[in-house]
Amino acid sequence: MILGVGDFGAVNQAGEEVKTFALGSCVAVIFLNVKTRMVGMAHIALPDSSINTEKGKTKPGYFANTGIPALLDLMNRMGCAAGGVGMSVKLAGGASIMDPNNTFNIGKRNQLAIKKILWRYHLGALSMDVGGNFSRTVAVSVDTGKVLLSSPGKKDWEI
Amino acid sequence: MSTIVDPAEILKSIENTPKMSASATELLSLTGDPNHNFCDVVAIVRNDSILTARVLKTVNSAAFSLMQEVTSIDRAVSFMGEKMLVGVALEVATAHLFDKKLEGYGGERGDLWRHDLRCAIASEEITKLAGTGFSKDLAFTGGILHDIGKSIISDYLKNTAEGALLQIEEGAYADYLDAEQNLLGTDHTLVGETLALDWKLPEPLRQVIRYHHQPAEASDEYRALVYAVHLGDLLAMMGGSGTGADNMHYTLDERYKDYLNLSNGDMELIILNVDEAYEKASESMAGGTDA
Repeated sequence: MILGVGDFGAVNQAGEEVKTFALGSCVAVIFLNVKTRMVGMAHIALPDSSINTEKGKTKPGYFANTGIPALLDLMNRMGCAAGGVGMSVKLAGGASIMDPNNTFNIGKRNQLAIKKILWRYHLGALSMDVGGNFSRTVAVSVDTGKVLLSSPGKKDWEI
Repeated sequence: MSTIVDPAEILKSIENTPKMSASATELLSLTGDPNHNFCDVVAIVRNDSILTARVLKTVNSAAFSLMQEVTSIDRAVSFMGEKMLVGVALEVATAHLFDKKLEGYGGERGDLWRHDLRCAIASEEITKLAGTGFSKDLAFTGGILHDIGKSIISDYLKNTAEGALLQIEEGAYADYLDAEQNLLGTDHTLVGETLALDWKLPEPLRQVIRYHHQPAEASDEYRALVYAVHLGDLLAMMGGSGTGADNMHYTLDERYKDYLNLSNGDMELIILNVDEAYEKASESMAGGTDA
């Protein structure tokens, strides 16, 4: 399953993976549920849907405050416990351009907004690879549960 | 400073790059004139059969959702609008450059077009919101062309990306533009400017191509426009449309605030609007690339 900006989805069949390309300031929120062997991901672009509530309804995955509840709800409907119970969380993305005074801090604000929403569910990231000045492609496999990252000019790595 | 290639070789590459089509050059010049006539625009398209075919294909694509097939070029241009027409004309005229795999940057085929299209839409949005005094269509065209030099110098940057990133991380190079300078003795803005001169592009577009990473050095007359594309370029990278290993490795010039009246809230709105417009534009203008 390939996710574009603002998409979210989950997979639970052997051989399946969920992937998103070239996260810049966007953040991929990844949920792993060992009990159901399910992995979910949301490609979040902005912290809060208050700038366009309609978009928050039509594309909830676009914003942190609507994307995380929408993904947890989807995974609940697919067989996971409600409210994020039993979920492991990993985060990737939230990069920035070279901006010494943090004028364009969308990546950082995305990270903070996501962590804040996760706290409401009593969830915290098990591991994360966020910030820096580079884009990330992220893939998660149902078979291994491994979260693999890649970026042009760098060797692939795992979180 | 020793470089990995003789700069004269790069100049030779520029000379050997095919000239832009007459119709694209005429369209750029004509649409840059605020008093131009719509009939003259249509006449240029009519005289270029390849462009005519692409315009009709684009306007009849799913992205326009028209009830009936459009077969008249006048109607097609009306539906499409001049901004998109110029975009399509540039895509047709420079496909050999936009469509290349940017091996030197570790970029894939179509990455340059996707980045430039997103930058064009972002520059247009910034111009609309911040009131630069320049036409939003000019900002769009500037965004499409700003990185054209990359397609030339990419050939000379093969196998350098990993080392360049390391040097930036260690502080030896200030950013990727500095890396290009250290490796080649030139960079994509200088090469792009030479190409723009060769193609006889109008002055504001040459300024955008040359100074989009150093907007403060643009001439007073065009500085606000160049700052708009400077920000558009960075927003495109933040949105995930880069050209490879150099993505996000360029420096923001904060003095944009002296020329563009934009709040943090405006930035988020621009990101949102750009994502929506990009999705639509990349569907309809994907004729020559994988976009």
